[in-house]
Amino acid sequence: MNESTAGPGRSSSQSATADEVRDGERPAAVRTEDLWKVFEHDDIRVEAVRGVTFRIDSGEFVVLAGPSGSGKTTLLNLIGGLTRPTDGQVWVDGREIGSLPDRDLAEIRLERVGFVFQAYNLLPVLTALENAEFTLLLRGVPAAERRSRVEKLFERIGIAGLEDRLPGKLSGGQQQRVAVARAVVGRPALVLADEPTANLDTATSASLIDLMAELNRELGTTFVFATHDPLLMERARRNVRLVDGSIVADERRD
Amino acid sequence: MRSSLGLRMRLAVRNLVRQRRRTLLSGAAMVVGMALLVFSRALAEGGHEDWIDAGVRLGSGHVSVQAPEYRRQRTIEHRLSSADRQVVEAALAEPGVARRLVAEAPRLTVQGLASSASSALPVGVTGVNPTAEQGFSLLPERLEAGRYLEPEDRLHAYVGARLAERLDLEPGDRFVLTAQDASGEIVGQMARVVGTFRTGIPEADEALVQIPLRTAQEWLGVPGAVTSIDLLLESSRAVRPVLASLETALGEGSGSVVALDWREAQPELDAAVRMDDWADYVFHAILFGIAALAIINTILMSVMQRTREFGVLRALGLRRAEVGRLVFAEGMLLTIVSGLAGMILGLAVVWLFFRDGLDFSSLMNEEMTAAGVVIDPVIVPRFHPTQIAQSLFFILSIGILASIYPAWRATRIDVAEAMKFSE
Repeated sequence: MNESTAGPGRSSSQSATADEVRDGERPAAVRTEDLWKVFEHDDIRVEAVRGVTFRIDSGEFVVLAGPSGSGKTTLLNLIGGLTRPTDGQVWVDGREIGSLPDRDLAEIRLERVGFVFQAYNLLPVLTALENAEFTLLLRGVPAAERRSRVEKLFERIGIAGLEDRLPGKLSGGQQQRVAVARAVVGRPALVLADEPTANLDTATSASLIDLMAELNRELGTTFVFATHDPLLMERARRNVRLVDGSIVADERRD
Repeated sequence: MRSSLGLRMRLAVRNLVRQRRRTLLSGAAMVVGMALLVFSRALAEGGHEDWIDAGVRLGSGHVSVQAPEYRRQRTIEHRLSSADRQVVEAALAEPGVARRLVAEAPRLTVQGLASSASSALPVGVTGVNPTAEQGFSLLPERLEAGRYLEPEDRLHAYVGARLAERLDLEPGDRFVLTAQDASGEIVGQMARVVGTFRTGIPEADEALVQIPLRTAQEWLGVPGAVTSIDLLLESSRAVRPVLASLETALGEGSGSVVALDWREAQPELDAAVRMDDWADYVFHAILFGIAALAIINTILMSVMQRTREFGVLRALGLRRAEVGRLVFAEGMLLTIVSGLAGMILGLAVVWLFFRDGLDFSSLMNEEMTAAGVVIDPVIVPRFHPTQIAQSLFFILSIGILASIYPAWRATRIDVAEAMKFSE
């Protein structure tokens, strides 16, 4: 699939700074304005995300739900700066990222966004500890501090003692915990998780969800999930439902 | 601080170790390629050196000092006088020359006619100093019958075996040499065959006669003169510095003396050596290509299989260029480690097994000659420090060439697409 450069024929008139402060509200971790993503391949044109406008406040625990092909992964990728919008704008932690050069986008991902993937995606040649400290290493955090932060976190999320194991020697649940550790260890503004429980059994899923909910509360880290795992949807305090690339429902509960 | 060299090397090492079999296979190709390269370079170097050595010993030495016009017109009109010879001797005493000089041979060469009772044939006659020739020329060693010239000899001649056969001469027989003397007169000189030689080179065996230098000078009316002073050096590598020293020393003289290297003095030998060099270059280019393809294949395969991994790295915040550098480091590491191993192996093989030479005589049915030189079937590989520099250059070139494309491919990965990639 090629990314289309031709937009759907709309343009956004809103400026990036207008959103920065909303009286009496928490700052937005994520905000999108008429966000579009269109894939074109040969003559087939797929509008994966169609004019999505919404915001996620800092500290939220949100699920983007919807059937396969509803555009939830694409929306997550747009928020994470892994793919560029065809049209519209997306702000992460107050910064419009849709038009940033590659270099700056990499910087945003490193500094402000953590990712958890369905297939764990740990680097197979690095140990659990090395995987978890990877982004700290890139940021230049000294070795001793990296190690102590990761060890503390491993202790907290129940995988202490597994630091020196390679991913191939860990169970799926353990790998996903290492992946969660990698995502949160740098204290990002935002953790994006695409189907994080899809490869796990129910009990493992439940405990992983508990863990992320606790981290959300303790650290104040914003979590955004793309999932159709009912277990995760139940636990989310907000469910944003997507169908055919558009938001059809946005329910909050406390 | 971003991804450091240390991190890149750590990842590169582990990724190579992870794909152990693939790494070993292409590393092996590189090892064998480099070893062959080093080995064949040493062999070519040795073969050429032997070849040049034989060529210059049968011919006019590594360096030939002559009158400037002699190269174009080989007559005694263009000779070195006694005075010229003193200038040359002074130049040869220069330290830059003297310490590289193995032997020097004054020679007086003319074209003439050899006549016996049965026939008359055109010949090249060279007046030589027998003592000097013993340490210089290969001709004394190629004795077939009789003996070589000796210092006390006067009217004696050392004759090519084929020439002797055609003139129906045997050691002890007399014959007449005829040539133009310094004043243009045709003069004859009686000589007695003291020995015959066979080199396997038709030009020498059919048409070469050596007589004592003093006899030749008297016969041709040029006392004290020679047509060339030929120099044998420690190796062909000494030619350039010796030539430089000589030119400086001789340049202060009248300009009536020039120093030529063997390439100029024996162009046919030069052409043959150059031709052989080309064959080596082609062979080396093929080795180079094989090694480069093995590495590029390994690294590219590794990039293709790890698309998702590179996607993850990008998602974690690595820049495109950093991902490229990771892949590049992997390729360079594989090339350098296996290349160095290959180089060492090549050197070890040369040193351990072939120090005393490789005998190719089973591959050669009879004596082979090339450019007037009989090829010695035993080639002693020769090693020179520039070969290490060449090998290192080869290794780095292969590494860079073979790693750059996979690295570029890795930078082109689309992150969102890569995450969908299934392993």
